[in-house]
Amino acid sequence: MSDQADCNVIIIGAGVAGLTAALHLAERGLHPLVLEADPERAGGRLKGGPPAQFEHAGQTWQFSGEHGIHAIWSPYRNLQAMLARHRIRPVLVPAQEEAWFHGEGRRVRCSATGSVLRGSWVPAPFHYLGLFARPRFWAMLNVMDFFSMSRVLLGLLASLSIDPFVEDRALPGYTLAEYCNKWTPKLVALFAGLARNFVPATLDQIPAAGFIAFLRFYTLRRRDAWAFCYLPDDGNTAIVAPMVSTLQSLGGELRLDATVTRLEQLPTGWRITWNETGAEQSAQASHIILATDAPAAEALLRASPSTAEQAAPLRLPIGMPTAIFRMWFDCPPHASKGCHNAEAGIFSGDFALDNFFWLHRIYNEYIKWSRATGGSAIESHIYGPPELLDQPDATLLAIAIADIKRAWPELEGHLIHSTISRNQATHTLPDVGRPTEHLAINTPWPELFCCGDWVRDRNPALFMERACVTGIKAANSVLAECGLKVWPLLPHPDPEPLAALIERGMRSTRLALRRRVRGE
Amino acid sequence: MAHSPSLNYFTNLIRLLRGDCLLSPLVVSYCVTTHCNLNCCYCEDFGARRNEQQPAPLALSEARQLLGIIRTATDSLILTGGEPLLYPHIEELLACARSEVGFRHISMISNGLLLARHPAVLDQLDRLIISLDSADPEAWDQTLQAGSGTARQIHENIIAAASQQKAHGFRVVAHCVVTPQTLTQARSVLEFCLEHDIVFSFSPQSVNNWPHFDLLTANTYRTFINYIVELKLAGAPILASLAYLDMMLKFEPYACYPLLAPRILPDGTLSYPCRPIERTGDAHGGREINLLHAKSWQAALKQATTYYGVPPVRCNSCYQQCYVEPSLMQSRPLALLRELVSFAPSRYASIHTYAPG
Repeated sequence: MSDQADCNVIIIGAGVAGLTAALHLAERGLHPLVLEADPERAGGRLKGGPPAQFEHAGQTWQFSGEHGIHAIWSPYRNLQAMLARHRIRPVLVPAQEEAWFHGEGRRVRCSATGSVLRGSWVPAPFHYLGLFARPRFWAMLNVMDFFSMSRVLLGLLASLSIDPFVEDRALPGYTLAEYCNKWTPKLVALFAGLARNFVPATLDQIPAAGFIAFLRFYTLRRRDAWAFCYLPDDGNTAIVAPMVSTLQSLGGELRLDATVTRLEQLPTGWRITWNETGAEQSAQASHIILATDAPAAEALLRASPSTAEQAAPLRLPIGMPTAIFRMWFDCPPHASKGCHNAEAGIFSGDFALDNFFWLHRIYNEYIKWSRATGGSAIESHIYGPPELLDQPDATLLAIAIADIKRAWPELEGHLIHSTISRNQATHTLPDVGRPTEHLAINTPWPELFCCGDWVRDRNPALFMERACVTGIKAANSVLAECGLKVWPLLPHPDPEPLAALIERGMRSTRLALRRRVRGE
Repeated sequence: MAHSPSLNYFTNLIRLLRGDCLLSPLVVSYCVTTHCNLNCCYCEDFGARRNEQQPAPLALSEARQLLGIIRTATDSLILTGGEPLLYPHIEELLACARSEVGFRHISMISNGLLLARHPAVLDQLDRLIISLDSADPEAWDQTLQAGSGTARQIHENIIAAASQQKAHGFRVVAHCVVTPQTLTQARSVLEFCLEHDIVFSFSPQSVNNWPHFDLLTANTYRTFINYIVELKLAGAPILASLAYLDMMLKFEPYACYPLLAPRILPDGTLSYPCRPIERTGDAHGGREINLLHAKSWQAALKQATTYYGVPPVRCNSCYQQCYVEPSLMQSRPLALLRELVSFAPSRYASIHTYAPG
């Protein structure tokens, strides 16, 4: 154990995980140094991007750019508690409705779905049945879909029998394609569309472990787990900038354009070498917290002599690239499309787009634009497949515009401006790998800890909440070694009573079957 | 019968089933003044240190007009502040609310320090809600930050008011804001209430519209809530439904409907759709609508929705305690039914009073 005076911590990566770890250390009196490779912005996947600017109605309009993450989900308890404790939690914009658009050639159907899932009168895990109270949902399906529904229900119930993250069960080789085996094409399309918004890959790429973890955390065990809010502004304005400001006020330091190139293990602690605005710098630290995305973490550990050998077999969860489109129209979409004025939703079928967000119903700056001009603005994402994302910007943008006009034909001829931006392959594809291949918070190297949404940890949370939880745990590992008080973690809500009962039954059945198969 | 909380409750149920979130209020809170004579350390709104920044309250004639407009929505009213007893015409306003405007249920949230100077208000009230955070005057003085002896004076005033409940036909409710610092004293407040036949209510301290982190992680807090539940089940006068207590224990998401207990600021503006959103002053809500410029509550609400959009459906953006109880009771009719069946309806527990304030 080190004394507090000997504890100087360097955190590599200023995303949610790194900033969370830094804040928790700074609150305990340490002065962490956070190194961020991005030359302009902290925030990782919450960072901003180049602004969009255009002329309309004799005025110049400018909008913040960003990565495309908008939602804070109700199970994100540790993240919200941390922000509130520092008085930087924004007043969030509650989600009202999400819609499912399914396209088959010229035929496009849609149904409102989100409010049913979180507001169903039927307890979890049967709350999905509430969808059948919507005539438009019936209209989305055919007879074969109804016959296939029992398989879907069985699949969902089976997902209650195992928690891949908490039980550390990798389910090797089992993908969403097997999970959806023998389902009808439309039901597969619905699940694929839903899944791609969280685990952006094709069915045979999505690990079943990650998908089941997603189902359990966001919807399966509680109706209100699907309740979420939007950030009122872009991620940088709403969360990242206040976190950085708080960190600095607590004595922490953030350096941008600082790309770490090498880690060197010393008899006590580490030497970190980085390029900062073109010049090589280095410093010693008693502890390192590696808080980059998975591809960057893997690359750094393999490139550093002290870690290369043990890092060689690592197979960290992969990151996926995404493309983000924004379009501005001089009129709003029609409200009476059976989607209850949904401000967001998913696409399936032959749509190239994967989801949409009507920004003029969410973000302050877009609401003001809408009030001033009567216009509307939509953001939409494409998560794949790779051959689609490989298309040139102009082609991809044209595809996106065509898709939006298919969904909202009344917007034909009303497009004012459109943009496309691309995100690097950093969006985590959640998975549970083998212990030798998948780093946990405590790594094989002393005084080096990891955090991020890709980190192996027996916690059910995903994405921002997982980044936050692992950030707190990594900070706690440092605090414990420095003889300082660790931070308590907030538990995630228990399942609803019926879901808990079924969960216990399904788990007992699974374990009994396993014992029988193994002849125990 | 028109615009009674019960009628509004049932019409709201129908609206919710139809997916309509423009609900009628069960009770309206009117901040008659934002001035305060205390400086409670947990208060994020007002306090003597902020008095100079606060606007002047309405003249009595305008306040009467305002009450008339509120009455078009509900006959249940909460007068609050700041400290409402600092409003220069509080007795006249209360008398007007009761006899001229015709409110059937009137509550006042006060810090109790000036009660002795305004004995006439007691005749007009159904509930007098007094903030009481500690049964130990010396310890509480540190929270109030208004000089030594303040807490003792308030204690004496509360006891005096409690002794007059039967004579004047009102109930005293002691409202305790539970903070990590006062957690150990909250139990003594509860015992103080039981001793003096005072109804106990509480809300956990919120920071940034979220439960205080040290409460979220404190076993002592959970023990305290469980103790309150035990007392309530045993018949103690606890102004909190079991659903509310469970929520304050687990802090799970709930569907918030702030329009069930809207708040009117001293100049007559409607805090739309709720205090947290209104205070951000961004595009989702604010103070653009003044009831004094509207013919009725419905007209004011129409203006607000036109300007800011409809209020959120099943909002779960924060834990603003003022809205928890009415939202739970409205969206969970079985929970309300359980309250009414299990705990005999009384003057402190009915549809419109499930709003701790």
